[in-house]
Amino acid sequence: MNTLPAAEAFSLQGLRRSFRYFTLEDISLSLPLGQIMGLVGPNGAGKSTTIRLLLGLIAPEAGEIEVLGHRMPGDAAAAKREVAFVSDDMRLFGTATIGWHLRFMASLYPHWDQAYAAQLLKRFNLRDEQLVKGLSRGEHVKAMLLLALARRPRLLVLDEPTSGLDPVARHELLTELMEIVRDESRSILFSSHQTQDVERISDQIAFIDRGRLVDARDKENFLERWRRLSVDIPVGVRLPELPGVVDLTLGERFATLTTDRYDGDIEARLVAAGAIIHEVQRMSLEEIFVASVMRSRQQVKS
Amino acid sequence: MNSVFWALVRKDLYLLRGFMVAMLGSGILGIVIMALGSTVGLAGASLAVGGILFLTANVAGGIFLASYALLSDRKELTRLFALTLPISGPRYDQAKLLGGYLAFLIPWAALTVLVLVPSLLPGGVRGMVVYALVIQCFVLALFSVVMGTLFVVTTEAASGIMILTVNILFSLFMVSINQPPIIEPMKTAQITWTPFALWMLAGEFVVICASMVFTTSVIARRRDHI
Repeated sequence: MNTLPAAEAFSLQGLRRSFRYFTLEDISLSLPLGQIMGLVGPNGAGKSTTIRLLLGLIAPEAGEIEVLGHRMPGDAAAAKREVAFVSDDMRLFGTATIGWHLRFMASLYPHWDQAYAAQLLKRFNLRDEQLVKGLSRGEHVKAMLLLALARRPRLLVLDEPTSGLDPVARHELLTELMEIVRDESRSILFSSHQTQDVERISDQIAFIDRGRLVDARDKENFLERWRRLSVDIPVGVRLPELPGVVDLTLGERFATLTTDRYDGDIEARLVAAGAIIHEVQRMSLEEIFVASVMRSRQQVKS
Repeated sequence: MNSVFWALVRKDLYLLRGFMVAMLGSGILGIVIMALGSTVGLAGASLAVGGILFLTANVAGGIFLASYALLSDRKELTRLFALTLPISGPRYDQAKLLGGYLAFLIPWAALTVLVLVPSLLPGGVRGMVVYALVIQCFVLALFSVVMGTLFVVTTEAASGIMILTVNILFSLFMVSINQPPIIEPMKTAQITWTPFALWMLAGEFVVICASMVFTTSVIARRRDHI
């Protein structure tokens, strides 16, 4: 059992796992303590598989996994004392009440925070005596989050946690998550295809598509490097070779180009070539995600 | 054995308590019907009705308990929640196995003791103790096979086929054990361990042990737990 203090919440190195119709390949990711990572990908991209590998629920064919200093899957039981996980495809025990679940969890976790659990119960408008099978989808998600948060985990892993939540509950959850990482020893891995949620709370972002890691870096880096430029091209002017052009739409006198290596130099080179820069747009995380995925798919094809 | 393991075993007993009470209640009702019938001169009919109710409680109770403990854990997606708790995958399955066995063994043992009481009372046909034990151990062996199979099969179709097979096996067994050459030597005033009874009990013991060894080895070799 590895009990050394961890510098990272988790680290995945060269993970590979294949199924009959899907292969997750060469996934390398790490998250520093005290940060939130958004794992973004379309449905079926491999987000849940990555998370299940991380938690030791399934075994990799290749690669190494370390969670809070624990090697996985061998040391999963010890790691899970400090990790909480909530997934969209997870359910509590239908014939038991929320109160029973609270007592059950309190008996398993020495750091269970009863006062915080009571506070969340009230905030999420849930009641002790409610039977789980009578809960709405949103209430069920809230109950699972309550049970995860009151464990006071050092790493909170959430797989599509906001699906099924109304906008108010979603806002409450995201606020709660940001509150958790105020304590710099706690970290969150948050998978979603809702890029607005990820953009709002994440420090680190990883894009995954068709079982491959498309890109992973800190959010500011993503947002600063990606730009969409609208350029007028006077007659006789040719666009110069530019670095990092991900997409180029050419009209007769007009071009729109998307770059993932934006800096002042690109503008200078365009102007020097005689082009007139009409507009430089920052891109939303969703636009960056779509552009990244499309480029990755083209690269795989070629 | 850590506290999480035992908490999960207790959790299963709590969640399965309804099935346990239903199995015990209907089994006791069967015994009462069998006992009352002879006092009101309807021994044959009450033995048939009470006996069927008693055996159904045992067999169906076992199938329901095993199915609910294992199949619904996967189908209702509660397994993923349980696997987030601080326990390894194999230990979770071991807790599930023990919880399932205890949930069945508690009412099964109570019913086995209760059904033996009339034979052991003064005037009772003591030889029928052996008959009842052979049947009850057969039920326990079937339960072990059901538990072992449900740890391996994941589809509803395969589970259905297995449950159907168990029912057919039990019916064939009851037909066999009630053949006069087999049952008559047991209807004695004293407990008589006939060769058939001894062979059956030995076979049942082997099936129970083999099922448990098979199930624990499947659990130990499993690399994916979800």
